[in-house]
Amino acid sequence: MSATNAYDAIIVGGGHNGLINAAYLARAGLRTVVLERRHLVGGAAVTEEIFPGFKYSVASYVVSLLRPEIIRDLQLARHGLEILPLESTVTPLPNGDYLGRWADHDQTRRDLYRHSPKDAEAYDDFATLMYRLAWAVKPLLGVVPPDPLSPGLRDLKTLLMLGRHARGLDEQQFHALFKLGTMSAADYLDEWFESDPLKATMSASGIIGTFLGPRSPGTAYVLLHHYMGEIDGVFRAWGFARGGNGMVSESIASSARSHGAEIRTGATVERVLTANGRATGVVLEDGEELTAKTVVSGVDPKRTFLGLLDPEELPEDLVEAIRRFRIRGSSGKVNLSLSEAPEFSCLPGGGPHLRGAFSISPSMDYLERAYDDAKYGGFSRRPYMDIVIPSMIDPGMAPPGRHVMSIFVQYAAFDIEGGWDDAKREAFGDAVVDTLSEYVPNLRDSILHRQVLTPLDMQEQLGLTEGNIFHGELTPQQLFFFRPSPAWADYRTPVRGFYQCGSGTHPGGGVCGASGRLAALEILRDLRRRPRGRP
Amino acid sequence: MSGCDAVVIGAGHNGLIAAAYLARAGLRVVVVERGEAAGGCAATEELWPGYRVDTGAHSLTGVDRRIMTDLGLGEAGPGDAGLEILSPAPCVVSPQPDGGTLLLGTDPARTADRIRPFSARDAARWPDFVAAMSRASRALGVLYRTLPPRLAGASRGDLWELLRLGTKMNRVGRRDALELMRLIPMTVEELLYEWFESEALKGALAADGVRGICQGPLASGTGYMFLHHMVGAGGVVRRRRQVRGGMGALGAALQHVAVAAGAEVRLGHQVASIRVEDGRATGISLAGGGEIMASRIVSSADPGRTLLGLVDPGELAPEFVRALENVKYRGVVAKVHLALGEPLRLRSGGDAAQAAVLAGAAITVAPSIHYIERAYDDAKYGRPSERPVLDAVLTTALDPSLAPEGRHVLSVAAQYAPFQLDDGSWDDARREALGDAVVGTLAEHIPNLEGAILHRHVLTPADLADRFALAEGNIHHGEMTLDQVFFGRPVAGWARYRTPIDGLYLCGAGTHPGGGLNGRPGAAAAARILRDGKRRQD
Repeated sequence: MSATNAYDAIIVGGGHNGLINAAYLARAGLRTVVLERRHLVGGAAVTEEIFPGFKYSVASYVVSLLRPEIIRDLQLARHGLEILPLESTVTPLPNGDYLGRWADHDQTRRDLYRHSPKDAEAYDDFATLMYRLAWAVKPLLGVVPPDPLSPGLRDLKTLLMLGRHARGLDEQQFHALFKLGTMSAADYLDEWFESDPLKATMSASGIIGTFLGPRSPGTAYVLLHHYMGEIDGVFRAWGFARGGNGMVSESIASSARSHGAEIRTGATVERVLTANGRATGVVLEDGEELTAKTVVSGVDPKRTFLGLLDPEELPEDLVEAIRRFRIRGSSGKVNLSLSEAPEFSCLPGGGPHLRGAFSISPSMDYLERAYDDAKYGGFSRRPYMDIVIPSMIDPGMAPPGRHVMSIFVQYAAFDIEGGWDDAKREAFGDAVVDTLSEYVPNLRDSILHRQVLTPLDMQEQLGLTEGNIFHGELTPQQLFFFRPSPAWADYRTPVRGFYQCGSGTHPGGGVCGASGRLAALEILRDLRRRPRGRP
Repeated sequence: MSGCDAVVIGAGHNGLIAAAYLARAGLRVVVVERGEAAGGCAATEELWPGYRVDTGAHSLTGVDRRIMTDLGLGEAGPGDAGLEILSPAPCVVSPQPDGGTLLLGTDPARTADRIRPFSARDAARWPDFVAAMSRASRALGVLYRTLPPRLAGASRGDLWELLRLGTKMNRVGRRDALELMRLIPMTVEELLYEWFESEALKGALAADGVRGICQGPLASGTGYMFLHHMVGAGGVVRRRRQVRGGMGALGAALQHVAVAAGAEVRLGHQVASIRVEDGRATGISLAGGGEIMASRIVSSADPGRTLLGLVDPGELAPEFVRALENVKYRGVVAKVHLALGEPLRLRSGGDAAQAAVLAGAAITVAPSIHYIERAYDDAKYGRPSERPVLDAVLTTALDPSLAPEGRHVLSVAAQYAPFQLDDGSWDDARREALGDAVVGTLAEHIPNLEGAILHRHVLTPADLADRFALAEGNIHHGEMTLDQVFFGRPVAGWARYRTPIDGLYLCGAGTHPGGGLNGRPGAAAAARILRDGKRRQD
């Protein structure tokens, strides 16, 4: 074996968490390599020129909750990350009207007032409460989950810190938090608002990536996410990356390289090598071996524990826990190349709204019916869609005068009846275009190219098991110290030197990067290195 | 005007249990009940001459054992109070659309044999499943015997309570407690998916997870509901129990116990309002005129009826009123009662299934998780299920005295029938259509059913609401979804039987740990009142 194949740390999978992990390890002075199966890094956060001149943020399409300390520590701005504002959300309605929420607070109020004066009043109170609650739970994103079975001193400290922080809430706020944690988005919002499009659009954030309808309990707490991004004190933590979401990954990769990390694409890891219960390296599909005392998996828990390792090497109860870890995909993605700007019949012509998001969520029943279609093993005939037009925000995404449109689509079952095939993929794409055409009359005739990703495509192309965009459903029983399994939620595994850093660990979900960072800090702790080992 | 130490509003099982405990502690207690019989939802009515029908609940998993012992209600045979609980070995007969029939019973090994034709893998897992669920429900039982700790604004005393709860859970086993924590937010589908592959088995079990709530088995919290039914069931999944003489005998026995302890039970008196002076409850006014003064008013009526109906809203803070108004009731259960000229004959399942029904097993129509979910889909949009989920009990099988000789009573609980319809309200035509849907669905599995019917009686959720004073017809006095249990029952911050009005307590199923004829809310409320009384004397 050549000496060049000896590393301090090997990261399996070049998604954003893997890259972040590598960057932190390299920064601390470890000789680090990232191994990515595809020809480009980024995992689900990639920009690809699928059709000449048209750049698609193929899967993930907005920056949400990317941790400010990561942006700072890794100097991502210096490495090319520029986040552009995504300031409005417009919900077109079947009657030709719309509901808009804008960066301009007064404009939002006027818009809401048109639909319901009561809701316009309640909206600010609601936002105040949500900010307060988001503040209270935000420290959760930055801690290593304690071990609930045999908590150590450090675990107790963590719990004490979280408890102390939450004590800043008054009784009413505390009760609101309890309700948010247990209710359905629909029921929670019913207590505040009366306007159906407003409730539907707000609840939509609670169903993204889950296989639940807005009336299913457990969907309310995600309402907090929306407010969490804005309190980080970082300008526009929610937004659109110039150059597409691939630029998030590229900037992290660039930062990692600047600290000395090596990034190898087209390198598929076959499995992790172990000896005497310790990780010793990895072997690639082509037989090449790389050695390292630290191996980190950025792929999902199923692949990490049941694919990269031989389950024989793991305790039986962990294998069982990973087998039953729910990871059902529920969403698809459609990317379009357009010959002209889309024109929404509710807001004809151009305007700032085209630089914002559009939500096809006209009513609660609409979303619920979309869920009904999919839950028995199908896809929504009239789906929920979250749409952005990246070329409006960043003209470099498409040739002059042309546009690209990114459509997140829900629901589509991974285990669709009879299985996904080309005909079903096209039918799914047709359902999206047909539904959207009701709101955008010039859409159909302006489509130059169409890329449709089903949950199966996400699994095959992006390596997301069952097409789940979060590496595992974000249900309460799969969060915090349950993610992915109690006792192994601190990024470690039963195999010494083998770690997890993907979205299937706490806190998981979205392009937030906390998993990658927290895992790196734990690894450095085990190696007794300071995060800033290198001067 | 008369006076006593405590007035209990409502002679349902919780009201009577609270009254019995208070009277035994030496308080002068008066129970005021608007109906002509005690028992509330544990009711047996002679709908047709010679036919005594359980018009409310027709099964019980079990009144808490400690309460049974405390009050001298012998569980094994008829005690002093004359209560005899019948507990058949076969529990569930679940006929399938393709002709198979699944049987579940109290003996795990024998049940595993019955499951084997559906899935050998599931059969092998059954004993472990029963054991795992028993452990989880034992841990849940600890929570059920504990006052929900105050989380917000916790004082030193509250932290002490939390610590004690922690110690108790530790004694149950940290692993079991953690497992319970994992199971509680689950959907019952997720819970069962971890164990089984047979749709027939999963459907029959999931029916327990949605009972009384307007959610399908794919909704979070239905896993908890499944476990709720296991608490007090003696480690038996889907246990079936009924009371000799009808469920009304439970009400009668509890009345007997309360009276023997010194309480007075006044039937046929409706409470019009609760008198409040300076933020303190001082008594009640009766609808027919007259007042009863007492420093403690204990209401077993649902939280909304008690606090929004009987108390002057000016006495309550607006936030509290708003929280009460937001309590979800959403009744979804209907009852259909049939007098039959001959015993049932099942279409399939052979002698074993036939024998099980005649031995008292419930007939469950819930052949798959998706069947239940589709039944819920109708209710979600405000329509009764076209093909409802059914739990049918031939009450005369275990107790022939409930009908004239050779005749039978079939009591059916049907779900989902939403209280709130999207196109109007419940009327005679809709009631009959509901009855037809229930009978039609059952008749697919019981060919002789339609011919055997002598009488039919249907209670819609609206009827249940009127008959048993259940808000929106909810059988649990408030949906038992996760936001409305533990700290959240009936509303967050007031889960400890007290109310913002000094001396006014809640003791009904709308308080922790909820419904299902277990009697715990009544006993816990009484304990709370007695403790408060002691403190006052100090």
